[in-house]
Amino acid sequence: MQKISIDPITRLEGHGKIDIFLDDEGNVANAYLIIPELRGFEKFAEGRPVEEMPRITPRICGVCPEAHHMASAKACDAVYHVEVPPTGKMLRELLYSAFYVADHTVHFYILAAPDFVMGPDAPVAERNILGLIHKVGLDVGGQVIASRGKAMDIVGMLGGKTIHPVGAIPGGVSKAINEEERAQIEAWGHELVDFGLFSLQLLKDVVLANQTYLDMILSDAYTTPMYYMGLVDENNKVNFYDGKVRVVDPEGNEFVKYSPEEYLDVVAEHVEPWTYLKFPYLKKVGWKGFTTGKDSGVYQATPLSRLNAADGMATPKAQEAYEEFYSTMGGKPVHGTLATHWARLIELLYAAERLVELATHPEITNPHVRTIPTEKPTEGVGIVEAPRGTLTHHFVTDERGIVKKANLIVGTTNNYAPISISIKKAAQAMIRKGEVISEGILNRVEMAFRSYDPCFGCATHNLPGQMPLELRIRDAEGNVLDVLTQHLDNDA
Amino acid sequence: MKTLVLGLGNPILTDDGIGIRVVREAASRCPNGKTRFAEASLGGLRLLDVINGYDRVILVDAILTRGGTPGAIYHMGPGDLLASLHSDSSHDLSLPGALKLGRRLGMKVPDDDAFEIIAIEAQDVLTFGESPTAAVAAAIPQAVDAVLAAINAPR
Repeated sequence: MQKISIDPITRLEGHGKIDIFLDDEGNVANAYLIIPELRGFEKFAEGRPVEEMPRITPRICGVCPEAHHMASAKACDAVYHVEVPPTGKMLRELLYSAFYVADHTVHFYILAAPDFVMGPDAPVAERNILGLIHKVGLDVGGQVIASRGKAMDIVGMLGGKTIHPVGAIPGGVSKAINEEERAQIEAWGHELVDFGLFSLQLLKDVVLANQTYLDMILSDAYTTPMYYMGLVDENNKVNFYDGKVRVVDPEGNEFVKYSPEEYLDVVAEHVEPWTYLKFPYLKKVGWKGFTTGKDSGVYQATPLSRLNAADGMATPKAQEAYEEFYSTMGGKPVHGTLATHWARLIELLYAAERLVELATHPEITNPHVRTIPTEKPTEGVGIVEAPRGTLTHHFVTDERGIVKKANLIVGTTNNYAPISISIKKAAQAMIRKGEVISEGILNRVEMAFRSYDPCFGCATHNLPGQMPLELRIRDAEGNVLDVLTQHLDNDA
Repeated sequence: MKTLVLGLGNPILTDDGIGIRVVREAASRCPNGKTRFAEASLGGLRLLDVINGYDRVILVDAILTRGGTPGAIYHMGPGDLLASLHSDSSHDLSLPGALKLGRRLGMKVPDDDAFEIIAIEAQDVLTFGESPTAAVAAAIPQAVDAVLAAINAPR
C-alpha cells in the first residue's frame, strides 16, 4: 500500500479548462470552456423498466438528484398517460420547493457571496464561507446551515430519503403526509421565508450598497443579451415544477411557449469538433456561432432567465422583490450575468413562500396521492426547472414499459454556449493587446462562469469534484502563451 | 465510539462506485454491530449531513491520480486534500472545507486523525455501467481487507 501526497495538478485532470485564443493583435478572438462528457446513459437506460428511471437518474449527479427524480417521474406519468391527483402534485412540488431553498442557499452562501463579501480580489484562502462567517458573524453561518438543514429534512420527510429521493412514482407519490408532518413543514416553512428575506437584505447591504459591485454587475464585461428560457404557470408566473416552457427574445417579447412533448420542435443541438458536449439552441432562430442577440439561437436557462421569461412571481413577497429587482436594474429583461445571484435569491424566497402555501393547502393531507397507471405505456417527456436550468427527460418504451430510447437535456447543457460567451466577454475586458490588464483576471472570469452555477456533475461527471479552473491563453497559431490555474473551490 | 464506514461514489458509472462496492462487501463480513455502514453519491454540505454525529469516519472512494495504476489502494486523511472523487463538489465545499465549517459551527465532526480515507484508483468513471473494469474489480478483496483492518485497528 502506498502513502501518496497528491500533486494539485491531479485535481485538474479531466476538468474544466478554458482556452482563450488571441488574434494577431493580441486581443481575445475566442474563448472556449472544455469539459469532459459522461458516456452511454441512453444505452444504460435501454432495456430497463421506465419506472426505475426516477430512481436511476438521480444517481447521475450528486448535486441535484431531486431535479432528475422529478423530471423522470413526470416523464413516467406521460409514458403511462396518467394524471397525478392534485395532492400528489402538491406533495411533489412541496418537496421540490424545499430542495430549491436548500440548493439556492448553498450556492449563494458557499459559492457566490464570498466573492462579494470578501471582494473579488481577496485571496482564495479568504474568499470562502469561513471567511464570510468571520466577516459577517458566526450566527449567519449557523442560520445558513440550520435553514438548509430544515429544507433538506422536508425533502427527506417527503422523498423517503434525504439523499436520493424515491417518493415520486408514476401517477403520483408513494406516501401521503399526516397532520403532524404538515404542521412541522409549515413551521419550518415560515422560518425559511424569514431566511429568504434575510438573504435578500444581506445582498442589498453587502452587494447593492457597494457602488463598485453595482458597477461591475452593470458593466459591459458581464452583459450578454440573449434569449431566455423558463417554466411558467398558466399566468406566466415562474414555476419550478410544472407548466409550459416560455422563451423570450432579448427584448423580452415572448418568442415561443411550448409543452414538454414539443421540445424537439423548439430546441436543437449543435456539435463542435473540440468538445463532446452539445450546444442546444433555438431551432427556429438557428445556430449562428457563439454570438448573442436576437439573430443568434443561443439561449440561457438560469434563475435570471426564468425571471426574464416570466411575467412575475406567484407569491407576494417574491413578487415585491421581483419588482424591486427590475426597477433597480433598469427594466426588463436584465442582461447582466452577475445579476443572476440576485435572481437566485428572489427564487429562494419564492420557493419558501410556495412551500408555506402548499403546506397550508386544505387538501395537502388528503390520502389520495396516486393514480394507478392502467394505460399501455408509450412515450413521454417530463420537464422541470432544475436550479441550473430547464431539465428535460424523454423516454420511449415498448408496450411493457421497457425503455427503448432515452434522451436527457440537463440544466447546465442549456447554458454551455452562454457560459462560453460570458467567459469570452469577461476575458475581452481583461486582456488587451496580449497584456493581461487586471491581475484578478481569473477571479473575474471565474465570476462570469460561477453566476451560471455550472454543474458538470450530470452534464459530465464531477470527477475529483473540486472544480479547478485552468485558463490557457493562446496566440493566433494556438501556441500557449500563459497558463493560469486556480481552484474554484472555496475551501479554506 | 461511533464509527461510520462510508462508501462514496456513483454505482452506475463503471469504476466510480467502487467505494460503495467495497463498503457493501465489508459490511457483510463485519459482525461487529457497533460500526455503521452507509453509502452515498454526494459531496460538500450533503456529506457533512451524513457524517455529523460520528466520532470516527472511514471513507472509501474512487480516485484518479496522474499516472496511477487502476486498482491501486491508497490510505489518506483529509489533510492530504485528496483528489478523492466525491469528497469534494464543484457546487459546494471540499471535504476539508466542510469539516472545518462543521467544527466552526459546533457540529460533531470527527477530528482529522479520526477521519481515514481509503481510495482505489479508478480506470473509467465516465461511462454508464454497473460493473467495474477488471483491474479495479480485482482490487476489491484487498480494499475490503484494508477497510476491515481499519475498523479493527486499536485506537
